[in-house]
Amino acid sequence: MVQQFPALIIIIPLFAALITVPLGSFNRRFCHPWLILVMAATGLMAIALLGQVIAHGPISYRMGGWQPPWGIEYRIDELNALMLVLITGAGFLGAIYSGASFKKEIDGRQTMASSLYLMMITGLSGIVITGDLFNIFVFLEIASLSGYGLIACGGNDAPLATFRYIIMGTIGASCYLLGVGYLYISTGSLNLMDLSRLLPELYHTRVILTAGALMLVGIALKMALFPLHAWLPEAYYEAPSTVSGVAAPLYTKVAGYLMIRIIYNLFDFHFFTEIFPILEVLGWLAIIALLIGSLYAIAQTDLKKMLCYSVIAQVGYIVLGIALANRAGFSGAILTIINEVCTKSCIFLATGAIIYRLGDSRITSLGNLFRRMPITMLAFTVGVFSMIGIPPTMGFFSKLYLIFGCLEAGHWSFIAALLLSTILNVVYFFRVIKAACFEDPRPDYQRTEPYPEVAVEEAPASMLLPVVAAASAIVLTGLGSHWIILNIIRPIIPAGF
Amino acid sequence: MLEFVISKYNFWIYVILMMIGLYAMLAKRNLVKKLIGMNIFQTAIILFYVSIGVKKGNVQVPIILTEHGHLVKAIRAADYLNPLPHVLMLTAIVVSIATTGVALAVLILIYRRYQTLNEDEILAIRQQRRETGA
Amino acid sequence: MKVIILIFVILAGGLLLYGTLDMPGWGDPHSPASTWVSPGYIEQAYEKTETPNIVTAVLADYRSYDTMGETTVIFTAAIACALLLRGAVGNRRKEDE
Repeated sequence: MVQQFPALIIIIPLFAALITVPLGSFNRRFCHPWLILVMAATGLMAIALLGQVIAHGPISYRMGGWQPPWGIEYRIDELNALMLVLITGAGFLGAIYSGASFKKEIDGRQTMASSLYLMMITGLSGIVITGDLFNIFVFLEIASLSGYGLIACGGNDAPLATFRYIIMGTIGASCYLLGVGYLYISTGSLNLMDLSRLLPELYHTRVILTAGALMLVGIALKMALFPLHAWLPEAYYEAPSTVSGVAAPLYTKVAGYLMIRIIYNLFDFHFFTEIFPILEVLGWLAIIALLIGSLYAIAQTDLKKMLCYSVIAQVGYIVLGIALANRAGFSGAILTIINEVCTKSCIFLATGAIIYRLGDSRITSLGNLFRRMPITMLAFTVGVFSMIGIPPTMGFFSKLYLIFGCLEAGHWSFIAALLLSTILNVVYFFRVIKAACFEDPRPDYQRTEPYPEVAVEEAPASMLLPVVAAASAIVLTGLGSHWIILNIIRPIIPAGF
Repeated sequence: MLEFVISKYNFWIYVILMMIGLYAMLAKRNLVKKLIGMNIFQTAIILFYVSIGVKKGNVQVPIILTEHGHLVKAIRAADYLNPLPHVLMLTAIVVSIATTGVALAVLILIYRRYQTLNEDEILAIRQQRRETGA
Repeated sequence: MKVIILIFVILAGGLLLYGTLDMPGWGDPHSPASTWVSPGYIEQAYEKTETPNIVTAVLADYRSYDTMGETTVIFTAAIACALLLRGAVGNRRKEDE
């Protein structure tokens, strides 16, 4: 049975999305349990796949039995299995969360929204599991279309933000498709493993140079790397809470996975350091993204908008790890991806719980929040510690490996920028914690009578559970980071490091 | 020189078409014009792919000639066009239509809210609403 | 602003044109795209799939997974449009009472 899991893990959410529409038309209350059931099944399959890949090595699965490159092949190694576990895990937490959250924000439209949610998970899983370049484009479009539909549901200015996202996202996907076209015209094949065998003799031609540049630009647009980040803050700010809690951690990290695949598996990374020296430029763009994201975040007065700018800063960490091109940097990039999925899920879902209770998320209205919503704010604080990099959370280990990578490569200015951005993170996150601890930011020293009692009005249990689960995942993955590095990262480090 | 131009001019035309679409997407202020630019951009990429599959000479479309179930003559790859770009572009055309459909639905929502489709006016109205609302 | 975008678009077009200088010519029968994967499709599609139309054979048999993805794209777009424009589905009879 486990042999068929690579196909089932895409088919089950897809058919469940089809079944959701008649099921929800019959009775809207069936959507939430159905969503949880399907995501639990998919999550268990992903964990089983990860276990099998760690025990027995990479799996190769042929769709329809046709031999590659004539048919489509799935090649699952540790990186794919890890990304699958992360995507289905975050999807499972979002599915539990969506019951109360959809009812509050987009009541009446839960059927279609749940169906699109399952389509989003299908699309993202399909991107990370396949080994054929055109198949990546098809699943990228499935994930993008469901993202556009879900984001346009929320708030007041959501449609305008979504339209800008549609334009920039389509430029990105089309640039990627054009890059695949340039590769196809000069080699004749579309399979990842086949191309990595055929390309080395063509490295000095202009077609391959342009193809590499086009694919990287397309993926940088999807990933919101520094100059091309303008669509992200508005789109994820206006989205409903469940959608931003699941989409914000996942989309940019899946695009980061694609960048790793292209730079290290499709082309040999020597192509990008010697013949087409783009890794230097990527490193500098990543540093600028770190600093500019943190500076913009400090300037915000709304908690959710601040978190969206924080996502832009964290994309800089991942690209820095990729651009360093040594063992420690590569490990740092993958640990940052794991950290980001857990931490951003925790923080965005906690912010959604705050919006559920308070109605808005401006920092000035967060007074006394530690007394009113103790469990939510406790999980939020664990997430903040992970963003800053305090052990034993996963954030500490990811930053540690990034600094080791910079040391190994000799870029001292990068280490200074990393430490500076950590301090900036402290500034803007602790501002939120300070506002939530006290009733009023300016204490009244003349006051003599006791403060009024504050009632505890927590978010509903179906919203608390995912937040607490994500927070404990941060600490557990941090404690298990040595196991992760040994079993998952070490086998996939590219040869030549 | 003339040989060089003749063997490459189709790719140049498609690149010029792509750039027209890209300019429309980025520079026009009307949202519907941006959408049309997106369509032109994707169509140019589709044309680029389809032109990869052409073979000069006495070749025919990739449908094998049969008569009552038997082959008319033996199949040789040099007699038929390349089928793979056609397959890929059938999918890409569908993806392009789907994206245009969702974008038009989003445009309807924008029109309901702002009563205009000009980006400058929309930003001005939004700024005004934020100032009076906040 | 429009001038800056025009200059950027011309530079991007220049980069793409630079990439086409090395490409195989239009219609070259010995180009890599016509000699690596597609002869396998042309020569074996009829005996393995009994379909004279090779494009159909590739679309529905060799690369049928891409066709399933394309159908899913259409479904996703339809649901997204329904979600945005129509909205409430289900429990309608109970709401009217």
